[in-house]
Amino acid sequence: MDHMGRFERRHAIALWVAREILPHESAVRALLRRLRLLPQDIDEVIQDCYCRFAMLEDVDHIERPRTYFFSAARNIAGRRLRRAKIVPIDSHVAMDLFEDSELPSPEQVAGGRLDFLRMRHFMDALPERCRRIVELRKIEGWSQKEIAAHLGITEKAVEKQVWIGVKAIQRAWREADTAVSERLAAIEAGGQ
Amino acid sequence: MASHNDTARDEAALWVARMDAGVWDEHDESELQAWLDVDARRSGLLLQAQAAWLALNPAQNLAREAETPPPRVYRRRSFFALAGTALAASVAGGLFWFDDSTRFTTQVGEIRRVPLADGSIAAINTASQLNVTVAETRRSVTIDRGEAWFQVAKDAGRPFVVEAGSVRVRAVGTAFSVRRYDNGAEVLVTEGIVETWVSGAEQRAVLLKAGQRAFVNETLEIKEESAPPSSIDRALAWRGGNIDLAGERLSEAVADLNRYNRKQIVLADPALGDERFDGVFRTDDPEGFAMAVHSSLNVRVTIADDAITIGSAKK
Repeated sequence: MDHMGRFERRHAIALWVAREILPHESAVRALLRRLRLLPQDIDEVIQDCYCRFAMLEDVDHIERPRTYFFSAARNIAGRRLRRAKIVPIDSHVAMDLFEDSELPSPEQVAGGRLDFLRMRHFMDALPERCRRIVELRKIEGWSQKEIAAHLGITEKAVEKQVWIGVKAIQRAWREADTAVSERLAAIEAGGQ
Repeated sequence: MASHNDTARDEAALWVARMDAGVWDEHDESELQAWLDVDARRSGLLLQAQAAWLALNPAQNLAREAETPPPRVYRRRSFFALAGTALAASVAGGLFWFDDSTRFTTQVGEIRRVPLADGSIAAINTASQLNVTVAETRRSVTIDRGEAWFQVAKDAGRPFVVEAGSVRVRAVGTAFSVRRYDNGAEVLVTEGIVETWVSGAEQRAVLLKAGQRAFVNETLEIKEESAPPSSIDRALAWRGGNIDLAGERLSEAVADLNRYNRKQIVLADPALGDERFDGVFRTDDPEGFAMAVHSSLNVRVTIADDAITIGSAKK
């Protein structure tokens, strides 16, 4: 595969992840929390899941991305728990028991949208210069090059603002996922 | 370790910004590859960052709504059509907002937990259907079929009433389940107090406290019993996708498991039905259950595509 082929494949998988995987991350984190994984372990399991997704050649064969994400997380978490030897009594059982309905429930769909709406909210919270550029890029759909020409700055300067934007978005997702998964876990715990 | 991760995460973001510039040559690719090769986790960080960035694209580019299967919730009024800030505000609370009746249907084997608009939670068991109305002055649930457990948010101004056939159950702030049968309904109370009666005979309502269960008959007969808390917990194990047996008759256990699966278990030898059985099983794993029966009762088990047969018919 040439460099553009790799670039396109990476982009296609990232789009798929944005659409089909990210909205479920908080639910997966809530599962891991219920399995009593420590917060840093949860982060690592999630990261391992993304590593696995990054290795995919293509995603067309994955019919149920949500289920796929859950089982990836479950397998990885299971390996960790076994390796750790300190296995909470119920984790193996719970690991298998966890709901795995193939369709996301409406609250999860809403949760995904919520994250999206939150993202927009976070965009508003970006530093002025960065926000301006992120908006032109995302809402107006201009290329970095066009933005540079429009604002009379170098392309490197635009790229730097995009970088700031990406870092802010990463942080926002992490915070939102942690908060939402805590809430989901609380709901589940309250219901048991 | 954490700081190493933070650095790698920032570098991943830088790569995303570079890729976002849309100009990409072999040199960029090999430089990125070299960065990725340092640590296996970097590919995941990069993907996470790139996806987060792409998730900022306008929704229509991302969400293929027309292609996603319809959710199993049917609303008389489209919930998502009420887009805008009201939606955002209600979703932000983790709650559903509907000012009209909402129908929830579960398939065989499906168990769903649904937050309701008033902050209550419903757990809906297999093959059930219910309608939920949350209005200003009342909260009402009609069970058309099946079973549900409710954890009711306290709201003295809005009684929470469940209808199952002619059986009524009212709660203010409490938790209980109602299972509808052809000839009545079974009520289990896990927290607080509920009041139950048969439609048209409200003056003969009975109070049930936490730990009590009652079978309410359509012919106005209410049988109540105090059940040890553990038995109520066990009876509601389905909320976690389990069946919890403690000395139940095998015939009852099989009937219960068959509620959750299209692949039915058949007891070929009726005498086996009286065997007592213990254990926790998954509602969606009839094979696992059958194998447990096989090994503990030492009976023959045949697993076919459409059915599982336990024991062999006596000649």
